[in-house]
Amino acid sequence: MSGTARKDKAVNLSVPKVALLVFLALGLAVTGLAWARPGLGQVPPPPGGAPPGPSLKVFLDWPGADLAYFGGEIPFAEFVSSLDAAQVHVRVSLSPPEGSGALTLDFAGLKEFAGDDNTLRYRPKPGEKPEESRSEVARLIKIGLIRYVAKTPAAKLVSVEFMDQVKPTSVIDKWDFWVFNLGSDMFMDGETQYSDTMFSGNLSANRVTPELKIRTSVYGNLYRQRFDIEGESIKSSSQSYGFEGLVVKSLGEHWSVGGYLSAASSTYSNTKFSASAAPALEYDVFPYSESTKRQLRILYRLGYTQARYRELTVYDRMSQGLFRESLSVTLELKRPWGNVTAGLEGSHYFFKPFKYQVALRGEISFRIWRGLNFEVDGSFAKIHDQMTLPKAGATPEEILLMLRELETDFSYYFSVGLNFRFGSLKSNVVNPRFGSGSRSVSISF
Amino acid sequence: MRRTGVVSCLLVSALCLVALTRLPAQTTPPGQEDLDTLKKTAVKVYLDCGSCDIEYIKNEITFVNYVRDRNEAQVHVLITTQGTGSGGREYTLTFIGQNGFTDVKDVQRYFTSSTDTEDEIRRGLVQALRLGLMSFVGRTPIAGRIAIKYTAPRETGPVRDPWNFWVFSLSSQGNISGQKTYKRDFLMGSFSANRVTEQTKVQLSFDYSNSRRKFLIDSEDRTVAGTSESWGSSGLVVKSLGRHWSAGTYIETYSSFYKNISFSLSLAPALEYNFFPYAQSTRRQLRVLYRLAWNPVRYRETTQYGMLRETLWTESLSVNLDLREKWGTISTSVSGVNYLNHFTKGHIDTFGTITFNVYKGLNVFVLGGWSLIKDQLSLRLRQPTEDEIYLRQIELKTNSNYFFAVGVQFTFGSIFTNVINPRFGSMSGNSMSISIN
Repeated sequence: MSGTARKDKAVNLSVPKVALLVFLALGLAVTGLAWARPGLGQVPPPPGGAPPGPSLKVFLDWPGADLAYFGGEIPFAEFVSSLDAAQVHVRVSLSPPEGSGALTLDFAGLKEFAGDDNTLRYRPKPGEKPEESRSEVARLIKIGLIRYVAKTPAAKLVSVEFMDQVKPTSVIDKWDFWVFNLGSDMFMDGETQYSDTMFSGNLSANRVTPELKIRTSVYGNLYRQRFDIEGESIKSSSQSYGFEGLVVKSLGEHWSVGGYLSAASSTYSNTKFSASAAPALEYDVFPYSESTKRQLRILYRLGYTQARYRELTVYDRMSQGLFRESLSVTLELKRPWGNVTAGLEGSHYFFKPFKYQVALRGEISFRIWRGLNFEVDGSFAKIHDQMTLPKAGATPEEILLMLRELETDFSYYFSVGLNFRFGSLKSNVVNPRFGSGSRSVSISF
Repeated sequence: MRRTGVVSCLLVSALCLVALTRLPAQTTPPGQEDLDTLKKTAVKVYLDCGSCDIEYIKNEITFVNYVRDRNEAQVHVLITTQGTGSGGREYTLTFIGQNGFTDVKDVQRYFTSSTDTEDEIRRGLVQALRLGLMSFVGRTPIAGRIAIKYTAPRETGPVRDPWNFWVFSLSSQGNISGQKTYKRDFLMGSFSANRVTEQTKVQLSFDYSNSRRKFLIDSEDRTVAGTSESWGSSGLVVKSLGRHWSAGTYIETYSSFYKNISFSLSLAPALEYNFFPYAQSTRRQLRVLYRLAWNPVRYRETTQYGMLRETLWTESLSVNLDLREKWGTISTSVSGVNYLNHFTKGHIDTFGTITFNVYKGLNVFVLGGWSLIKDQLSLRLRQPTEDEIYLRQIELKTNSNYFFAVGVQFTFGSIFTNVINPRFGSMSGNSMSISIN
């Protein structure tokens, strides 16, 4: 094929174009600047630029209230003496039953906060002392005022903390944490000489609590493609279906024990049917409770697989039973300076010397300096265990359309990206006119 | 700066703690049993956000209960994002009270900068969520266990912007992958300069990409290789004309191997009308855009009409509707193009996606697009080779193209999703995300 020849031609053609383009872009920039300048006078000051004045102006409408006390307790608010000067009107009134000490707190937003209204209620606990009541009411006023403070530059200076540790499972749940899901998707696309269709379906039942994790699912996928070549229609398809199950029991902050169970069939990997079971043990060097920030997990798996193949394999087998063990180390970090994900996994088959696989993968995104970000992503695998590979090989169509697993000793992927941004960092302006470049729609269930 | 901030924060909290211990016992901390009771009555929250780090949020904010269906929630938090002038994002958090809290509604905003890392972004979003949730938490008994602290501000001078709203970005990415019989490499680079204010928007960019693939076919002892290269530059200047109207100009150049275009230049003045005020754009948009373009083109190979170069005059009209509501989202667009100097030639593109929460636990999405194509002006005269067809390397003759997807998910069982359990790795839920340009 003439691919390389055409490529040379393409590159030759593009070199003067690049120069021309740079010239054009510069010209554009100058024009753009020229146009943008006259409008400068109308440009609003960047939001968030105002010096952070102490506060939110609040009119506390509660005759006899100890303003000095509330002023001390609520430092982000300035209690003003007239409604005209206020941004928020807080009215505190007695609520029934009479003599119970119950209060109604009405919050009404004024000026820029017009329409931001809320009502909170305070009911004293039995035997509560007056100073306790006063402090509880102050807490409620604070809570009610937070939504307004959040819209001022002082939002960054306020912290909201929950004082206790609670179990996430402290809820009333008649399903006892079981969640069932039934889903199916279909995707198709095409044009006059090409089309493809993909169907998939799954059924899952999961139960996740801090002590025990159970995940089970049944799935099926079908993929079809059609090409018209010189009046002839060429069709191809691939399919897979199976079951996957996982049970994990927690053993403290660092250890977990569990097992995988699966059954599968796949045309890509020449498997008519396979079933496997694998008990496993995991150790996390960091406590699991820090998992959203850092994880270093070491997982050992010992498994047995019984498989029946579609075609004779390169080892002249139509079926076989295999014992395999694997060890993997996974590191995941998400810190203010960037993210790191890295993994090393090795596995081999018992009683089959030199049938092994070693895979290393890693991903780092790192902020070197202010606007300069660096990203590396890569993987390398040494593959000496393609037990299911068909002896007959693949047709040229199957190779080009990537419908079959192919014989190999290795596979790799490496990607590097550099991103440098400079210029104004103060512009929080959103200007949706003529579209904002790209939008993203995401659908999640 | 940050470190001193943290230190002073710690100091202030430490001081507060000391102060607290000296005060006469205020509220005695409740026992575990009371806490469980408090948690049971905590606000039920549905987080409607496709791009948030949900696990992190659940880990950090524990004074509410998370549910998996919006109908079960007392607060539906709808989170939408839009790009800002400095290349960051604006997160709009719409808090919608329901099931007894219908009288409370709030909108909070949070801005990220383009240089923020994922961790900084999720921290900021958690802060905005915490503050916004207080209006609802204040109505539940767990409010008694919330501590609100305030760090007095330091003196800061007025903010100056030496860059006058200009933001520049340079980025490049390269990747290679392969195995014994297959190799692929890809290289891209881009440069952009933008200046966005409420009155004017200026966007300039240049992109280049090159992708090569190589297959070894053992049985026939041959190698199949394919290369595709494309580059382009674009400029856009838009002037605001009130709450509904905008006017602007596009300048674009590009080159593409797939499309048989050696060089194309297009200069196009345009006018837009938005039926909703632009201020509501994060939730609602219905925009109609008209564009008139002068477009000289040079082709790589002779086209099916025997041309190697020509000048086209095109006009186009597009309509975009985007809605993001409690019950789901709608995003549709229709656009049509025709040529003033080839009046019968043209194309129509349609696109639509709907996600819809039909009933408790039942979600449906439909996504589809269809194009009627009567203007393959750049199509090569020669027939493509078989390998070019398999690798989808050059444009093929067609009258139309389409894509369609539909999905249904039905979930039942426990409504609570408070628990995160990272053991043996986490598995994300069923989700798909689509980027629209």
